[in-house]
Amino acid sequence: MRRDYYDILGGAALAAIGLCVSAYAAVHYDFGSLRRMGPGFFPVVLGLMLAGLGLIVAIPAWGRSTDARPFELPEALGALGAIIFFALTMDRIGLILATALSVLIATLPAARKGLGWRLVLGGTVTLLVWLVFGVGLSMTIPLWPWSA
Amino acid sequence: MFDGLIQGLATALQPSVLIYSLFGVFLGTFVGVLPGIGAMATISLLLPLTYYISPEAALVMLAGVYYGSQYGGAVASILLRLPGTPQSAVTSLDGYPMARDGRAGLALFTSMLSSFLGSMLGIVVLVMLAGWLAELATKFGAADYAAMMILGLVAASTVGTGNPAKSLAMVVLGLILGCIGTDVNSGVQRLTFGWAELMDGINLVALAMGLFGVSEVIANIRKADRHGPPTKVRFLQMLPTRQELRTIIPPALRGTAIGSFFGALPGTGSTISSFLSYALERRISRRPERFGHGAIEGVAAPEAANNSAAITAFVPTLTLGIPGDPIMALMLGALIIHGIQPGPMMLEARPDMFWGLVVSFGIGNLFLLILNLPLIGIWVSMLRIPFRWLYPAILIFVCLGVYSVRGSTFDLIMVAGIGAVGYLMALARFNPALLLLGFVLGPLIEVNLRRAMLISRGDPMVFLERPIAAVFIIAAAALILLSLWQAVRRGSR
Repeated sequence: MRRDYYDILGGAALAAIGLCVSAYAAVHYDFGSLRRMGPGFFPVVLGLMLAGLGLIVAIPAWGRSTDARPFELPEALGALGAIIFFALTMDRIGLILATALSVLIATLPAARKGLGWRLVLGGTVTLLVWLVFGVGLSMTIPLWPWSA
Repeated sequence: MFDGLIQGLATALQPSVLIYSLFGVFLGTFVGVLPGIGAMATISLLLPLTYYISPEAALVMLAGVYYGSQYGGAVASILLRLPGTPQSAVTSLDGYPMARDGRAGLALFTSMLSSFLGSMLGIVVLVMLAGWLAELATKFGAADYAAMMILGLVAASTVGTGNPAKSLAMVVLGLILGCIGTDVNSGVQRLTFGWAELMDGINLVALAMGLFGVSEVIANIRKADRHGPPTKVRFLQMLPTRQELRTIIPPALRGTAIGSFFGALPGTGSTISSFLSYALERRISRRPERFGHGAIEGVAAPEAANNSAAITAFVPTLTLGIPGDPIMALMLGALIIHGIQPGPMMLEARPDMFWGLVVSFGIGNLFLLILNLPLIGIWVSMLRIPFRWLYPAILIFVCLGVYSVRGSTFDLIMVAGIGAVGYLMALARFNPALLLLGFVLGPLIEVNLRRAMLISRGDPMVFLERPIAAVFIIAAAALILLSLWQAVRRGSR
């Protein structure tokens, strides 16, 4: 058991976001009146509501404890890394290579050791993607590095 | 009404619609069975596909995923005490003890029969309510719509489990995200910070995939495979005796009544219905001590409730254009992608769509019942597929799906970012589904609120003077006061 930092940090982050949105909208957009609400009305009011709710979440959490939930960093890096790698490389090295390499990146955090199953999985997914998107739908995505 | 049914049959039996319907229920069962990926994530993943098919087929397919996942969700709940979907969490309370006692087959049969009964009766309720509500809705003004949506958001965040302040904060954050993009009234670019990619707002597909697909994958990579092998179940073990059948039907009917009612209300959906019906069964039972130790009513009632609620949830979505729960918000998003604005006019203007969906519910559920009983062995063996074989493929599917919407790698980076935030939210137990509900309803609320205030010349009393709006606003205020009172009482103890 430990102090409920999830709610403290989460609530504080929401309160900060709310204040920033509210302030930014108040400066940049016309607030209008109740009768004729301007584009700023909704963001300003909602931002203040979010700031209030964030504090209501964060403050009582200070005196409360909760179970520890670990942040699974390798899993998050693997999954997000695969998506970002795919996004950055697909236009340059083509769909086939980007898919195969992204699958390999995604499997990095998996508990099972060994390269064999990773290569089999990468090959299978790439084959499926090639069949569906390259052959089946013939989408206008470059498939190979030389067609990119 | 018979004209409608015939028109519906004509739509639902079109080969393309029928195939997508069957694909939907099949996929829904599959993802429902697998712990680690739910209906919400699957529907988000399928949204890009709906760009390429007709709106009827799209709606029927997504709906099929939803109610199909309700059937499938019970399987892992019963056999492994791992709910495949939140709606089936209650089922594990008595379903798992039943399986431990060697009555796994009976528990599965009970859940499927109750699901079927709940869905079929839910369809009847849907048809009856929809016509009536669509007529009532023609009397709705802008203030009434705004008030009803506000009630829906308040109900979704205060009824049920979790800290209501956290839930409301998620709804408000969703409303703020919904503001991003071009303001419809003034044409001002709001909160885009100069990024042209955000001019049309945050892409619904990117938001849903990041919040559900990506974050669920991250959260499940380590924990999804930590269960033993499931009990083997054979078809013949599933068939109940006449005596057992008689103990299934009455709780299933009570569950259906609860589910149909709460499903049709905005903000309360199938998860809440399943909890309420379980509580009711335990209260009225002559031997409540059996609950938690394998009471068959504890499986029958919640499964009937969550399935009927999944069907009647379409009532406010289709007749008012107001989604009552986050999954319906995605359905609404799919329709809007096709340029169809659901609402009271839809029943008049697109009866084929409404009745086609109704008939497809019937066909889909019949298909689920017929297919799932003999195929139960296959579904159970699906539980043996390790998650590490599935999630890399899911991630690639996310990438291709988001990219295919408008060929933008910016959206992909955004999905990764939203996924990271969504994972942090899930870790801190902030409900991302409520964020999505706020995101979809936000622009609708803003338009109606601004219109209402313009009509009333800036007088907010309009919300209390119009009887329909007043009922919704008072109900919303009562829900907030109730949860405040509960918080104070909990704090003083």
